[in-house]
Amino acid sequence: MKIWDAIRLGISYAILAIAAIIAVFPIYYIVITSLSDVPTIASISVNSLIPKPESLTLSAYKGILFSTFFQGTGFFVWLRNSLILAAGTVAISVALAFLSGVALSRLNVPGKRALMVTVYVLTFFPMTVTVLPLYLMFASLHLINTYYGLILAYSSGTSVYGAYLVKLFVDSIPKEYEEAAMIDGLSRFGAFTRILLPLSKPVLAFIGLLAFMGAYTDYALANVFITSGDMWTLTLGMWYLSFTNRSTLYNVFAAFAVLMGIPIMAVFLAFQRYLTRMYTMSGMKG
Amino acid sequence: MASVKTTFFNYLYILPVVVIVIFLYLYPIVYTIYISFTNFNLYHFFEYQWVGLSNYITILTSKTFAQVLLNTAIWTVGSLIPMMAVGFLLALILNQKDLRGRGVFLTLLLVPWAFPAFISLIVWQGMWNWKYGIVNKILSLFGVSPIDWFNIVPMAWVMLILTNLWLSFPYYTSVFLSALQSIPEELYSVAEIDGASRLARFRYITLPLMKRTIAFVGIGGFTFTWNNFYPIYILTAGGPGNATNILVVYAYQAAFWNSLYNYAAVYSVIDAAILIVMAVIMLKFSGVLETIT
Repeated sequence: MKIWDAIRLGISYAILAIAAIIAVFPIYYIVITSLSDVPTIASISVNSLIPKPESLTLSAYKGILFSTFFQGTGFFVWLRNSLILAAGTVAISVALAFLSGVALSRLNVPGKRALMVTVYVLTFFPMTVTVLPLYLMFASLHLINTYYGLILAYSSGTSVYGAYLVKLFVDSIPKEYEEAAMIDGLSRFGAFTRILLPLSKPVLAFIGLLAFMGAYTDYALANVFITSGDMWTLTLGMWYLSFTNRSTLYNVFAAFAVLMGIPIMAVFLAFQRYLTRMYTMSGMKG
Repeated sequence: MASVKTTFFNYLYILPVVVIVIFLYLYPIVYTIYISFTNFNLYHFFEYQWVGLSNYITILTSKTFAQVLLNTAIWTVGSLIPMMAVGFLLALILNQKDLRGRGVFLTLLLVPWAFPAFISLIVWQGMWNWKYGIVNKILSLFGVSPIDWFNIVPMAWVMLILTNLWLSFPYYTSVFLSALQSIPEELYSVAEIDGASRLARFRYITLPLMKRTIAFVGIGGFTFTWNNFYPIYILTAGGPGNATNILVVYAYQAAFWNSLYNYAAVYSVIDAAILIVMAVIMLKFSGVLETIT
């Protein structure tokens, strides 16, 4: 029996090790490339992926941070735009999701079941359906090439979905908490903001993260809604550097990918326990 | 009277979301359905007319549509089965009591999920390159001659599905692992005392208790993969020709590359219609609908 356990564990470790190497490899590849002197993808070889420490250089990071690429814009302008869009989306999504979610859970709103079923069915429509009509609608409202238009478009998905998540979450909080507070003289709204808001922090943080990621990694909408270079986001800049502008040095692209991606990865892994629990609860794939 | 007033104030809370649903969901969808019956495209820009079912007839009888629809099915089923199988297998491995370093392995396995997919897909696009890509360079160490992943159709599918597997297995591993961990330990120890083999314990305890999670995750994964835009848009853009194109990518390209808004609308409507029907059937069968509302 002992020997079978040893074999079983041996195979398990082997499979896990192979899976872990494959999982991490592309990230390792891009990090090493960003630190090496590889002008094109052709100069990357199996050998260059195991570089000598003395050959590592930060020149690609200088290249991405301090150059301008398109209509006089570069990394910092794109980063600013992306962060403004993401922050706006987070603020609107979290606020609306909380208000509506609490109302759907606690208040007597006739027709709320119909509303939730409608929302669930609507999420089956691909975003390509909504992009075109939204574009025409926003064009007539002069919301093209503005932060507002994109923030509105990004928030629509997360705030509606977030309301649904808040409702599920608040359903699990006993009503007695607010009832006790209201007997002590707190208003209904006060009970929501003073009692339920602090208790809902975990789910609101999760909605904030979904909203941030939605705005920060969107290309499909930004590509349609933004036409002028000074409004470009990181995703549009990355698309330009990797597919449109063929003269981009590959290590500069790699440095861009690292700067844009690694902070997100670090945050995700730091909160992995909490995040995987929330994703499991929401039944949604990120 | 007071109750009417309260109801009115209650509605104020959900008013923003109702407004969003109407203006940013319902209106665009209705508008798209309307466009799908017109000749709104590059040649009739804002001077379009109602053309009835003619767009639908043109598209439903075209070879391209049949191919793109088949591709969408291949993409969805072909991705989902390996993703769930690999996810489940790794979860079973990680769930072994006597396994050490579970936390470290899990963190490493979550990396593809943690890194933004938009970026990793662009990185993969370079890694699959025929002449210069690292994938072919590594394969050549094992004596495999370079494979043209982008222009040979079966190889393009292999590339797409493997990349999607890399992107998605961490989600399935993590969901399945947390479901496995919620199975009470006593069930297994009692079965072990009764002399049930490892296989029997898996067959009669693990599988029945995991059924619900598998169904729930499978349906979610199906609808997500069906409309998963970026892997195909970034890796092959549907090529060569339309050999790997799927409905959602084709619709986007029709609208924003070729300005054929009416065709894009038809593709979108058909895409959503099929998905809704499939999702309702699957939900009915698995009994997940009760947990959603």
